[in-house]
Amino acid sequence: MDRIESQDELYRKVEEEYGAALARMAHAYEADPDLRRDLSQEIHLALWRSFGRFNGRCSLRTWIYRVAHNAATSHVIRQTKGKRNVPAFLTLEEAEVQASDENVETSADRSQALARLFGLIQRLDPPDRQVILAYLEDLDAESIAEITGLSVVNVWSKIHRIKVVLVRQFHRGGRNVL
Amino acid sequence: MFCDDLPDDLKILWKEAGTDRPMFSPDGLRKNAERLRARRRRVDIVLRVCMSSFVAYFALCFFLLHDTLTRIGSILGVFGFGYWLVRLVVERGRTIPDLGETDAVRFYRAELERVRDSHRRMMWRWLILPPPFILFDLFFARIYEKRWPFIAWSLWFSCALLLAVFVIWVPLMYLRVARKYQSRIDALDAAVRSSGP
Repeated sequence: MDRIESQDELYRKVEEEYGAALARMAHAYEADPDLRRDLSQEIHLALWRSFGRFNGRCSLRTWIYRVAHNAATSHVIRQTKGKRNVPAFLTLEEAEVQASDENVETSADRSQALARLFGLIQRLDPPDRQVILAYLEDLDAESIAEITGLSVVNVWSKIHRIKVVLVRQFHRGGRNVL
Repeated sequence: MFCDDLPDDLKILWKEAGTDRPMFSPDGLRKNAERLRARRRRVDIVLRVCMSSFVAYFALCFFLLHDTLTRIGSILGVFGFGYWLVRLVVERGRTIPDLGETDAVRFYRAELERVRDSHRRMMWRWLILPPPFILFDLFFARIYEKRWPFIAWSLWFSCALLLAVFVIWVPLMYLRVARKYQSRIDALDAAVRSSGP
């Protein structure tokens, strides 16, 4: 009984603190609004379940992001599983090339810029998606490495590439599109 | 670095999203978990009943029809659908990697491997099912050959269709998708290796 109460209590605390970040994550993994609601529910359900097994061997934040990313990755794979044509995700290198080819409208407003940012992230390969999301949520390279399992050097290199892609997409010719 | 200023603007913009988030409560999640479990149980029961019915049907055919073709078809049907039934029970109990203990890249790789393996398995499993039906079609085509040739021809056609779809097209499709997942795993391994430990 105590375990269930502490599990519920921990979930409520986490929902309050990380709810917005988890909603952004769901948006970055799923473009369709109905499926996004399902994904949000899957992520929250996975988190609530996982708190029954949380053992404190890593920080709570690392645990939350791992569970949420893993639940979202499962969702992405499940969505593509039944399809004959498995959609190809972009690597950061490919995104860099594409970003330099795209014609960016400098008059785009903030909501359009945000929609484009979500669009870019949704096309990335899950490991790159995980790094860019953690980066946008202000996590440092060490924390990102702990969540993803990549080396810190690898994370740094990905963050550098992410910045290049973002600059090319949102900061054309010295003009900020935001 | 030439791009250091922009990402901070972008982070501010990023934080503006997520304000219209869906709200969940532990009680709601508990109910939802129970609903999912119940739905899964229902799907399980339906599948098991279907497979068991086919096993029973072919077992009955073995005793009712005394032709060599139908006898062989019945044995293959009992074993084929029996195998599907057993795999259904065994695979329901598979363990999923712990979401909190497994880092995201390792989990992604494990999921890709799981889907690749399931496609490879399905490729072989679809080969098990058509032979009993093909043998039964051949048996009935032989019976109707002289009296109703049109029915016999349609049974021959059905045999050819079963062969083309379930013995050639479906396994090849599964193999193709399994290869795509394998190439994703290779790309992931190369990406992780290229940046060193």
